[in-house]
Amino acid sequence: MIASNETFVIAAYALTWLVLLGYVWRLVSKDGRARGDYARVSGRGEDLR
Amino acid sequence: MPTNDRSLDSSLPRRTGIWLAFACFAVLGAAQAYSISNSPAEGDMGHLQKIMYVHVPAAWMTFLAFFVVLVFSVLYLWRRREAYDLIAASAAEVGAVFNGLTLALGMIWGRPTWGVWWTWDARLTSTLVLFLIFIGYLALRGFVDDPGQRARWSAAVGIIGAINVPIVYMSVMWWRTLHQQPSSPSTLDPAYTLGLRLNAIALLLVMIYFIRRRYEIARLERAAEQAAQMAAMGGR
Repeated sequence: MIASNETFVIAAYALTWLVLLGYVWRLVSKDGRARGDYARVSGRGEDLR
Repeated sequence: MPTNDRSLDSSLPRRTGIWLAFACFAVLGAAQAYSISNSPAEGDMGHLQKIMYVHVPAAWMTFLAFFVVLVFSVLYLWRRREAYDLIAASAAEVGAVFNGLTLALGMIWGRPTWGVWWTWDARLTSTLVLFLIFIGYLALRGFVDDPGQRARWSAAVGIIGAINVPIVYMSVMWWRTLHQQPSSPSTLDPAYTLGLRLNAIALLLVMIYFIRRRYEIARLERAAEQAAQMAAMGGR
């Protein structure tokens, strides 16, 4: 079965949002990990916003 | 070139960061909604043309991110300021995301228009090489423990990698390719120009937000690395 043009357009936009929001998710988790590591080794994590 | 605690205080408050992210993605959503609903079906491709609004800006952001890598890699080698290395590394990661997205969107567009997902065309191949260079750049940063050495080697790879950008751009003019000539507002039918501009601006905002956030995290990671080294030496 050959997908219609609209299917490819929807797939392109869905992939764009998936990748961009996926990267936001990665940034959020990396940020949390970095804050945790910094708090653990420096003892001033609570000062970080 | 230490990352001191005071430099971490210039990072955005969390709530501001969340609102900025929300604003950037809202602008992107609005630009996409406008361009999808206002551009007519193209003569040859029909509605497939609408993939241009995500594929072409993603490619431009790839080029721009790697230009940032080039500038800050050169600045690092010249001035040896750690911040320049961290900005280059942040831009390289974000550029790799946009580069991968460009390749994937090109494949989705290529299948219904060319009949194949992939072909070893000069534009596609040079874009893939660019992607692999920056994946290598990011892998290199993970392998090297010494921060000074990591920054110097990364800067060298970043400069070499960015030199590939003009090759990617010019590939469709230098070689006979299946890929069309570069799309830009000057080569487009006016019906599609505004949509392309709006999407490019929206994705530029997203890219700036990404690089900024990644840079803040990189500073935090570096500060934690330094604090761990100090603690290991008993200098806390």
